[in-house]
Amino acid sequence: MIYLNMIFTFFKIGLFSFGGGYAILAMIQQEVVIKNAWLTEAEFVQIVAISQMTPGPIAINAATFIGYQKAGILGGLLCTLGVILPSLIIMLLITVSYLKLRKQRWFQMIFKRLRLLSVGLIAAALIMVLGHAVENAFAVIVFAACFIATWRFKLNPFTMLIISAVVGMIFGTA
Amino acid sequence: MLFKIFFSFLKIGAFTIGGAYAMIPLIKKEVCEKQAWITEEDFLDGLAAAQSCPGPIAVNISIYTGFHVKGYPGLLMAVLGTILPSTISILLIAMLFHRYADQVLVRKAFSALRPAVVALIAVPLIDMARKSGLNQKNAWFPFTIALLVGALTVSPVYVILATIAFAVWEARR
Repeated sequence: MIYLNMIFTFFKIGLFSFGGGYAILAMIQQEVVIKNAWLTEAEFVQIVAISQMTPGPIAINAATFIGYQKAGILGGLLCTLGVILPSLIIMLLITVSYLKLRKQRWFQMIFKRLRLLSVGLIAAALIMVLGHAVENAFAVIVFAACFIATWRFKLNPFTMLIISAVVGMIFGTA
Repeated sequence: MLFKIFFSFLKIGAFTIGGAYAMIPLIKKEVCEKQAWITEEDFLDGLAAAQSCPGPIAVNISIYTGFHVKGYPGLLMAVLGTILPSTISILLIAMLFHRYADQVLVRKAFSALRPAVVALIAVPLIDMARKSGLNQKNAWFPFTIALLVGALTVSPVYVILATIAFAVWEARR
């Protein structure tokens, strides 16, 4: 039963994740943290950190990790399948008909609106993790330093996270 | 040929860390230039479709390219290649994480990683806001979405469906 529920949940996440990467976070949070309580908010932030340090899309990393935690290796594989199934179906249909569709006004309008929507969704993910991730002076300093390093100096996320992990090991709190 | 597709995407999947936007230039170089499976124009069409379609962009573009090169078997090989490195490495980490999560050093590392992740989400938010055509007139829309989903925990499912419905209505008007 847990397998079915997990496949269905990750199918839904795959189906409603537009804009890739960070816009997907709000959807995963809603389903995994708020609705099903498979993870706490703090664990969710940890998985985002881990996903960004390992290869592959966040949605797949999160699906594999959560699936494994809740139902072992089979769970991890099934959740991964669940999250890519909508892509397989829809992308195949689009591959066949996209060139015709994209000239349609309603089609263009949908993606114009969805682009704006994904800005809102990333902001939503930010609001949700903020309270659980930046809770003391040390965290505020790390946040500010990372923000400036990635935004102003274009440091790539992987290097930034590795440096943060080392800084945490030396100066952080357990 | 099928093995070549598999290994090309395996390589792409294994060596790109940090999501789809890091992957795209690599995929393009591999499939357009190195293997010359697909013209650049066809690739860019596929990329636009991959970004419009729900799901991870990297998976979508591998579906498109794989299918374009060798039909359904090509598609399967490309998708497997893309997701295998990610699935295997995460499974290994998940197994280890369970054992080491309570170690002092791991907990100390995460005390800095958590705020770092917040910065990681904040930076693309600024980039996305610039690229999405955000202005004073339409800023209320993402702002309302952020409030509904982020503070009132409304499911993104409803706001996405409502947005699609609104866009269709707007186009027909």
